[in-house]
Amino acid sequence: MKTLIIGELINNNLSSGTLEILSKATSLNLDAQVITVGIDENPSIGLDNCKQTYLKRKSDSLNLSKAVSKISEIIENEDISLILGSSTYMCRDIIAGLSVDLNSSPVSNVIDFIIESGNVSTVNSINGGESLYKTKINSDQALLLIRPKAFDPIEVNFNDNYETIDLDSSDLEVFDIFIEEKSGPQLEDSKVVISAGRGMVEKENLELIETLALKLNAAIGGTRAIVDAGWMPYSQQVGQTGKTVKPDVYIACGISGATQHQVGMKDSKFVIAINKDEEAPIFQLADLGIVGDTLSVIPKLNENI
Amino acid sequence: MKIAVCAKQIPDPAVEITYSEGSIVRPEEQVLDDTDRYGIEVALQLKEKFDAEVTIISMGPSGTQKGLQQALQMGADKAIFVDDDSLKGANSLMTANVLSEMAKSLSADIVIFGTESTDGYSGTVPQQVSRYLDLECISYVKAIEVDNDVTLTRQTVEGSEKLNMPDKCVISVTAGGVEPRYPNFKDIMAAKSKPIEQVSLGDLNMSSNQNLEFIDIENVENSKSGEKIIDEGEAYQEIVNKLKELKVI
Repeated sequence: MKTLIIGELINNNLSSGTLEILSKATSLNLDAQVITVGIDENPSIGLDNCKQTYLKRKSDSLNLSKAVSKISEIIENEDISLILGSSTYMCRDIIAGLSVDLNSSPVSNVIDFIIESGNVSTVNSINGGESLYKTKINSDQALLLIRPKAFDPIEVNFNDNYETIDLDSSDLEVFDIFIEEKSGPQLEDSKVVISAGRGMVEKENLELIETLALKLNAAIGGTRAIVDAGWMPYSQQVGQTGKTVKPDVYIACGISGATQHQVGMKDSKFVIAINKDEEAPIFQLADLGIVGDTLSVIPKLNENI
Repeated sequence: MKIAVCAKQIPDPAVEITYSEGSIVRPEEQVLDDTDRYGIEVALQLKEKFDAEVTIISMGPSGTQKGLQQALQMGADKAIFVDDDSLKGANSLMTANVLSEMAKSLSADIVIFGTESTDGYSGTVPQQVSRYLDLECISYVKAIEVDNDVTLTRQTVEGSEKLNMPDKCVISVTAGGVEPRYPNFKDIMAAKSKPIEQVSLGDLNMSSNQNLEFIDIENVENSKSGEKIIDEGEAYQEIVNKLKELKVI
């Protein structure tokens, strides 16, 4: 099946989400090519066994609409029937735009897909991972937004052999670009993640989590509730509207485990939950549940590790 | 300035969602999706500065209209909604098509959304609407400064970037981006006399396209042990032991 993967750059490299989708496309023997959209200069993104095209955006213009028009044109010209992208800000914008041009509704938050006699079916996880929702796509083109970490990334070598197409500016001028400083272990690839919820009671108590994170070389995440409350930046939110993590060990501190949060962490290998409320849904996902006050358990962990 | 804010009525988020034939079961009484409060707040800040007219647009079973009332209580001027059986289980593209026709019928300059609904969370409708309306979409707005110009800060994968809001565009606002206002008693009373109008699908010029077919819902076996230990002061030791066993320490 002729397939197009929308590629994304992070720090001048293809994102892990892109490599995860490429891995799935390879395992299904799809006739795939990648079109990467980004603003970096000359990223090293050429692939040995797969055509790569780079749509270079202007850094001073929000011109994703131009990227959409260009990709639509390529899809029509090359008769592509499957379009895949990672559930990120940029790919969501692009695939949403393509869906209007191609008159084919996309499927979001896909965790797996199957191709049988030319038809694409998708699998979504619902009710905090308790159920799988299956959909068949009946249009000529199928557009899928795939959740990060749904597949293991492919290991590939990169070269500099690809075509670059420069995109025009839109009318939207971007005038202040802020790159968030990242220090310490990152949520996406850390082996241990410690997340905080409302049970931490107040922002100052996050210091307890920071101390523990240093000891365990862990990344720190939070629920939507505490991000909304301004305790942590949005980039640290774990859940449906935030990041998906899949560490070896996930420690949920004072988190009740709303579906919104579960979606982002349920595939962690080993889950430790600490919560006062014995009935908290997080315990259903936990390998080890401690019914108790996070604020008294964590200081003891800090003293004894 | 005319502003349309999309707001969705959803089942009480504290209650687990149930499905029938692949569609979310919707009770008579649904509430305003909290995600939409952020978009409404942005619209109201623009209204205060530019004397804009703010109309709530909504699609789905209207029921008791509680969610629409909640949107009006915040300070929107009126609401219009489409409630049509043929839209049951509508995919994101159909939803966007209906909403964009509603925005067009209002001659809206600015169309504002949350980033994604809490119940369906496809997260694509704002961008789809912008494409239908042939407008640019400023997505994932996390801060707004309203002066003579309006400056929007949008979330990006690496940080953020700022833009000036053009005269016409579609905006999606992230949860936590602004502080949604709480209505007081006077606002709640005032909302009761604000117009809520139903428009039929026939009034809107749109084509139906259901390219997504529900197959089934399968339950997944829970592989977690769910072992619970009541902390009587020493439970931390269980965690330490487990972290050693897992070679984290």
